[in-house]
Amino acid sequence: MNNTAVRVDHVTKSFRMYYERNQSLKSAIMRRRRSVHEDFLALDDVSFDVPTGSTFGLIGSNGSGKSTLLKCLANIYHPNQGSITHFGKIAAMLEVGSGFHHELSGRENVYLNGSILGMSRKEVERKFDEIVDFSGVEKFIDQPVKNYSSGMYVRLGFAIAINVEPDILVVDEVLAVGDQEFQDKCYQKFRDLKAADRTVILVSHSMDVVKGMCDQAAWLNHGELMTVGDAEPTIKSYLDSLTHDAS
Amino acid sequence: MNYLTEVWGSRELLFNLVSREVRGKYKRTMFGQLWSLVNPLALMLIYTFVFGLIFRSNPPPGDPSGLDVFPLWLLCGLLPWTFFSSVVFSSAGSLVANAGLIQKVSFSRVVLPLSTVGASAYNWAFEMAVLLVAITIAGGFVLPWIPLLVLAMALLAVFAAGVGLLFSIFTVYFRDTEYLLGILLQFWIYLTPIIYPISLVANESAKHDGLLGTPFTLLGIYDLNPMVHFVAIFRQLIYDNRWPDPLEWLICLIWALAAVGFGMLVFRKNERNLAEAL
Repeated sequence: MNNTAVRVDHVTKSFRMYYERNQSLKSAIMRRRRSVHEDFLALDDVSFDVPTGSTFGLIGSNGSGKSTLLKCLANIYHPNQGSITHFGKIAAMLEVGSGFHHELSGRENVYLNGSILGMSRKEVERKFDEIVDFSGVEKFIDQPVKNYSSGMYVRLGFAIAINVEPDILVVDEVLAVGDQEFQDKCYQKFRDLKAADRTVILVSHSMDVVKGMCDQAAWLNHGELMTVGDAEPTIKSYLDSLTHDAS
Repeated sequence: MNYLTEVWGSRELLFNLVSREVRGKYKRTMFGQLWSLVNPLALMLIYTFVFGLIFRSNPPPGDPSGLDVFPLWLLCGLLPWTFFSSVVFSSAGSLVANAGLIQKVSFSRVVLPLSTVGASAYNWAFEMAVLLVAITIAGGFVLPWIPLLVLAMALLAVFAAGVGLLFSIFTVYFRDTEYLLGILLQFWIYLTPIIYPISLVANESAKHDGLLGTPFTLLGIYDLNPMVHFVAIFRQLIYDNRWPDPLEWLICLIWALAAVGFGMLVFRKNERNLAEAL
């Protein structure tokens, strides 16, 4: 049994900031070159290990590179340098309900969304009841999702994503939605995942959530890794830096 | 090879996306699937009126089928063309249309343009079935040619998929592609013997030796258009009811493989950057 779930090894990610971006042929031909840009370093040589079975929090202010790192973890962006190795099946929940078709029913969307997230038809069939039960939209499952309230929409999306049952789950701040009851259900689900020795990596701005759920945390600031380690001291040093800036 | 395994691995997703397109498309319309017949029928009426009655395009009767019905002759070329152009057009926009999905979920991106091929093929199969019935009623004997027809349809689908993959990437980097493509397809349909028989081009070509003293004849250049050969195969199979020229098969096969090979190559090279480029 490997006790590292994800190894982030010297990851650097830069973006091109376009001042004059040529997305049209006219501008490309008129200027005779593609575009004018400057590199912006979103992640600067970040390295850490996420232990298997831990709940790992990523904290930091806006624009610190958390989402970029999350997208790198989720295989959506690819680092310019360094590498990310994961040991086990990874699934990412960066937004719930991506790929829902508004005219199709909830039931059809469960199958569609499940396969987008990498589940086979058999898996979806097996977990269908659990998904519907978790989302609490049983009564409306055969209605088109465009008639769903935003809460129902998110709950259904979340229920599908969490039932992918990956070894490693990457979650962006998607929990801020839904009522208290649903949020409690979600946190319970995360605890179940943890009990099943699965790894959860999450981003949150709520320090209470991070404190309550995570045993490890990493603090990013302007693309650099400040500290990584046990959650309590990491959160403390992050909060200290904020009050320090303020005074 | 690895890439093909990856595509094969996402076949379930591909199937689901195709059925999303197919089922979502005509939801809440009264006539549903019938709408997919309306467009080719309208084109058929217009072209039959203009080129069949006014300009007297007069294609030769089917040999050996003996069919001599302009609208049917027209549809044998027009239906493959509308399939091709709808695949190219909708594949080209498929990545931009699903930008939200690409930026939030990691999956094999190639299924997005390929799903438009599936959705258009579904409509096309429906249209072709209706055409076969009409030809049978008019006196053609198409039944034994159906297996070869399916093969020809598959070849054209592969060719269209390759061209579509290429344009889907172009559209991401140059949004103008979408509009340019509309014009390109307009030129392309008139450069293909769909609404006039190829004999008109051959006659004109025979009047001149080589163009500007070169050995290239007008017909030789005209033949560079791959759709000329695809249309020829479809006409020979369903209008003439005879074995298509083996050379035509070979040309179509080469074009299809070249298009899909090049399309895949370009797609694969750019796939990783899509989330950022969109």
